[in-house]
Amino acid sequence: MALQQYKSYTPSSYLETLQHDPFAIISDPVMQWVYETYDLVSQSMRDYLSKDQHFLEFKPPLIGPVTDPGTRGAKQTEIEFYGKDYKFMSSGILYKQLLAISREEAGMPGRIYFFADNLRMEPLETANTDRHLAEFIQVDLEMVGADHFDAMEIAEGLVTSVYKDMKLHESKLQTIWERFAPTWEDRGLSPRTSLTVPSRFKRYEFKDAVDLLLAHIDEYPQVIPEMEKRFGIKATKLRHDAELPWEYEWLLSSLHEEPFFIHDYPRGARGFYDREYESKPGILMDFDLLMPHGYGEVISGAAREYDHRRVIPRMKESGESLSKYKWYLSFLQKHGKPTAGFGIGLERTVRYFCALPSIMMALPYPKVPGVFTP
Amino acid sequence: MTDYPYEEIIERARKGRKSIYPTRDETSRFSVFGADIYGKSRRFPTLDDILLAPPQFTPHRLEKSYDLIFREPFYRDVNTDRIIGGFKTTLPIIQASMGSPEDWNVVSTYSARACAELGLIYGIGENVAATWGYDTRTDPKQPSLMDRILTYFEHRKEGYGGVVIQQNEEDATSELWNRLYSDPRITDFMHEGLIAFEIKAGQGAKSGIGGEKIVDRDTALRLQDKGYIIYPDPEVVEQESYERHSSPDIFTADIIKNRILKLRNDYPRTRIWLKTGPYRDLSELIRVAAEAGVDALVVDGKEGGTGMSPTASLQHLGLPTLSCLHAMYQARKEGITTSFVLSGRISEGSQVVKALALGADGVALGRPFLIAANSYPLAKLFVGKEFYKSKIIKRLARFVVKPSERSVQYISNYIETLRLEIQLLVSSLGKYSLDLLSDEDVISTEQRVAQVFGLKDSFGPLSTPQTDIDLIDQRGYTEITG
Repeated sequence: MALQQYKSYTPSSYLETLQHDPFAIISDPVMQWVYETYDLVSQSMRDYLSKDQHFLEFKPPLIGPVTDPGTRGAKQTEIEFYGKDYKFMSSGILYKQLLAISREEAGMPGRIYFFADNLRMEPLETANTDRHLAEFIQVDLEMVGADHFDAMEIAEGLVTSVYKDMKLHESKLQTIWERFAPTWEDRGLSPRTSLTVPSRFKRYEFKDAVDLLLAHIDEYPQVIPEMEKRFGIKATKLRHDAELPWEYEWLLSSLHEEPFFIHDYPRGARGFYDREYESKPGILMDFDLLMPHGYGEVISGAAREYDHRRVIPRMKESGESLSKYKWYLSFLQKHGKPTAGFGIGLERTVRYFCALPSIMMALPYPKVPGVFTP
Repeated sequence: MTDYPYEEIIERARKGRKSIYPTRDETSRFSVFGADIYGKSRRFPTLDDILLAPPQFTPHRLEKSYDLIFREPFYRDVNTDRIIGGFKTTLPIIQASMGSPEDWNVVSTYSARACAELGLIYGIGENVAATWGYDTRTDPKQPSLMDRILTYFEHRKEGYGGVVIQQNEEDATSELWNRLYSDPRITDFMHEGLIAFEIKAGQGAKSGIGGEKIVDRDTALRLQDKGYIIYPDPEVVEQESYERHSSPDIFTADIIKNRILKLRNDYPRTRIWLKTGPYRDLSELIRVAAEAGVDALVVDGKEGGTGMSPTASLQHLGLPTLSCLHAMYQARKEGITTSFVLSGRISEGSQVVKALALGADGVALGRPFLIAANSYPLAKLFVGKEFYKSKIIKRLARFVVKPSERSVQYISNYIETLRLEIQLLVSSLGKYSLDLLSDEDVISTEQRVAQVFGLKDSFGPLSTPQTDIDLIDQRGYTEITG
């Protein structure tokens, strides 16, 4: 019986069952523990942000005239709003910047966050990464008077705090791990028997992270075919001037035992709102946090551009039409000031703590790119 | 008779702002508009001022005969395969990225099929999805964007070709590229590297001017909502037609460079092409784009991309095609190896060979595909004729010349004539591969052209006793050889 269950919980058979008999999966006690973990992780994050760090939670907008255009290759969803085209939020980034600054100008702490529902029609190749969902929740925060290094401190504090809270529920997590352990190797995840609260997170500059990967591939060229098999794609070229492709991000993650930051991405890698160093043209003041053991990125964040004269050329780099962003640009013109923030994927975090082979198992009604399920 | 422009002034006085645009009839598929790009007289040199110069001594021909195992090489032995912007093609000819005009759209799938079967690269211009639908047709008689793309891939010659797709600001609002990038029907082609996204940074006949169009009232209201500038404001003034202006976009060296890098980042599985126009800082643009790693740069000379250009811009804006070719030629001397595609009034094999000899990797053709696709019996009666402007004749022509599958054959026939010409001419130069073409294969009868390119003037040396080497040194060039 137990063996039968393992088999039915590989991502592909899981999806098949989900399409025809979602109740069978959702009513499984182990899956119920996963959903409980989801709740615990959410509470832990809210506690840290609202109680420890004095962030205020806002209800985010669901739709709006514009949304985050900086999501690599993912399409936004249009919705007709009384004769006008509105977008479903792919992230609330433009809206949270305004909220943080307005709160600060009103004399309150300029620290805000959302538990934001995001919708992104990701490219189909992301169906194989085990960490992309079209519909997901991002805990999205923004703080005034901060740069990316300040945001990294908050990120580290937040994740460490979740680790600590989850440590209290280790035995429950272990039951979940037991269920999924047989799938780990196939999904490129390292084995796990206990949860160790990490010490200070390592920080890499982007270029050093690329060099580290290049050196590793040089030494172990066999990882390329492994990656290609693992993701079912042809590996793309690793470049110093573009974002790390998914497959390399996984590789780097699998080489680590603890969460780590990559910061200072090249300019082409991110949206127009990530601030560029004045002293280092072409380099952005931004970062990602990657979880170890093959789980990959959970956080993306940055210091923001706040001078409209710097934002406009960046918008043109993405081929954006300025008139779409009128309200945002005029807000920057009048009230722009330094802020920084990040978003942490809630399902990704849950997946990491539950050691799930795929993110689709982190919630009862997952939307995997290109797969039709309830 | 006087050459004072009486008639033009009267036309302007009577019609007002409308008179500076071509009328709708003039821009249809049989029109002469835009073909008359020189204005009253030809004012600048063209590719026709260059001649091909076959040599008596043909060491490459001798070498080729070794491969052929004792037979003299023949024109058909010229291999016309090329790799352009990451795509393999059977000829250095690309169907230029043409967009939404209805007379083109209605035959665009026939051209897709012809290009696919011939192994040519197929371009798709801006605004197609927005006008005719991404998938579902907005007009049952008009193919949608996906019809074009899928027709191409259904007929693609194995191992050859590729599709180049533009996105303008209106397409960007509906995120055309993102939508394509996540469309399961073309994911496999994306993975095989058969799709390019093309940034549009210019167009031949209207460099520095955005898209200009005369639109009806409904369209005006819809487009105003999407951020276009409409004149006059349709919410205020009610009339039959309006001017639609779209932005020429904003570029600096930094913006172009980073836009290329951003596309590379966001769409790692597509090729990145850049189409630009005949700008005076073209050489600088070539350097920036090449350094940012663009896969191909398409340069439209002022004679190209005529579309709906105001008459004044047709006649007075931008560098002639030949000057654009010169910028490519110079870039080659600087050691830039990016794929270059030249366009702008090219329609014959000889022009293709000349462009290749001077640094282009290929040429893009627009209007010739449109005309070839419509070469039905009696087409000659209408195409390019002034009287076509008459409404009755226009109706008659549309009745006689209905788009059909035959367009595929017409386009193939036309392209085959170019293939034959290219093979004949290249073989005459004693060469059997396009890669061997170089500036030694061309001369000029125009002293100015010869001088600028540093070519041999067919009427002898440029000035008194100087050797070729002296000339080259003076211009700071180093000679390239085949």
